[in-house]
Amino acid sequence: MDIVVENLVQVFGEAPREVLALDRVSHRFPSERFTCILGPSGCGKSTMAQIVGGIEPYTSGTVTVGSDGQPLGTHSVMVWQQLNLFPWRTVIDNVAFGLEIRGVAKPERNERARRLIASVGLRGFEQHRPPQLSGGMRQRVALARALIMERPVMLMDEPFAALDAQTKIVMQEELVRIYERSKRTILFVTHAIDEAILLGDEVVVMTARPGRIKEVIPIDLPRPRSQEMVNTPAFGRLYDRALHLIREEVLNAMKQQEAMVG
Amino acid sequence: MAVRARTKSKTRRLAYLAAPYLVITAVLAAWEFAVRFNGIQPIFLPAPSSILKYLVVMILDGSLPYHLSITFLRIIAGFAVAGVTGIFVGVAMGMSRLAARLVDPWIAALYPLPKISLIPLLIIWLGTGETYKIVISAVTAFFPVAISTFSAIRQVDSGLIKAAKDLGAGVRQIQFKVVIPAALPGITSGLQLGMGVTIIMVVAAEMIGGSSDSGMGYLLIHAGQVMETEKVFAGLIALAIFGAVITGVQKRIDRLVAPWVEREH
Repeated sequence: MDIVVENLVQVFGEAPREVLALDRVSHRFPSERFTCILGPSGCGKSTMAQIVGGIEPYTSGTVTVGSDGQPLGTHSVMVWQQLNLFPWRTVIDNVAFGLEIRGVAKPERNERARRLIASVGLRGFEQHRPPQLSGGMRQRVALARALIMERPVMLMDEPFAALDAQTKIVMQEELVRIYERSKRTILFVTHAIDEAILLGDEVVVMTARPGRIKEVIPIDLPRPRSQEMVNTPAFGRLYDRALHLIREEVLNAMKQQEAMVG
Repeated sequence: MAVRARTKSKTRRLAYLAAPYLVITAVLAAWEFAVRFNGIQPIFLPAPSSILKYLVVMILDGSLPYHLSITFLRIIAGFAVAGVTGIFVGVAMGMSRLAARLVDPWIAALYPLPKISLIPLLIIWLGTGETYKIVISAVTAFFPVAISTFSAIRQVDSGLIKAAKDLGAGVRQIQFKVVIPAALPGITSGLQLGMGVTIIMVVAAEMIGGSSDSGMGYLLIHAGQVMETEKVFAGLIALAIFGAVITGVQKRIDRLVAPWVEREH
């Protein structure tokens, strides 16, 4: 399902202290592709994902997901940086939440939730509650809770940012596997260059505030992807290119901050 | 420190565990000794042994169980009224801005008022019967319950609400499946505060001039008036144990209602 963003503008706050977060952003996120949005912090990349998901209203421009004219959010589901799991619900009840809302009967929704829980490697933890689980396990619950919706678009807002390095690698491989099997359209927001290249079919590099698209880097690494590719020359070239672009923007962002403080 | 703790011998560990009980025993023994051999009048300070004797007598003749159970029933009645109305008002305020605007000035005006000062007015309106005792304790306990419930609902993590919405939940579903469960730990801690003041107000109401012929407040004030100091002490001990049991039961219920919350004990 295509995601088309045209002249998207997002302004936060009221004049005269308003902040331009997104400045006329236009891009077509191709159907069934994995697109990573890479940018320095505060560049509006999370805002863009939230707008596409219908979670945040926007100032002007057009955003369409699919071609059936349904409101934003209908075809997409969000995986949040803060996970936003329901701590009072068990793992299975967290995962089945969306089906419960839809009115799916308990035996059926539990059956489907159980299958998904097993597929993300959490078999045996159905009756645990999120506070009893490790960071990586909670991340898997969040992923399963989104996957059960079976919506064609998955929006991921820095989902692995809070994980330790090893858990992150495992989760990235897990996500690659899920994507390559299920062919959803994925919009993945990150500030980690290696993550963006390893996961994406293309990497949209954004500028520091106000957020604009600086460059789109197609990632021609073959699939299935694996962590070992990080050491290949092709990966290195892509990394250098993205790093060069991002460094400029991080320096810009720092200059902006200094200007605001001074 | 850690090394010392690890090498601590068994006897030292035993001494560590026994220390508080030894101190209690020592204090009681000193008390007993002081009263017996220094001629302290029992009407000012009875010896622990005679307090214990009275305690046993009052249990056996049924007077202590009788007064304690009457007080208990009044506490439960006052607490139930305060719990239901407090949660209802708190939830309404948390869910509706209009309700919060309407109720807020009343709470702001009435909450700082010491509720015990309402006793004369309530006696004029309601007499000195059961209604007055239940109303005064319920009015007092209402505020902590309503205020805790309101703030618990207001403080629900907005991320959880956004996530539920993203997963297709409507306003009603968000309220019942997200907001209320997320607020439960805050509501139960409001109920704990409410229980504390209910106990205080019921006993106080029972003490007020001839308003009662039963209950622990009556027992205490009556024994005090006729200088039966042993009975006063026995009543205080019974009330202290009673309060501790209620608090313990309530904590256990909290753990059943909100088992996901990490608690210190």
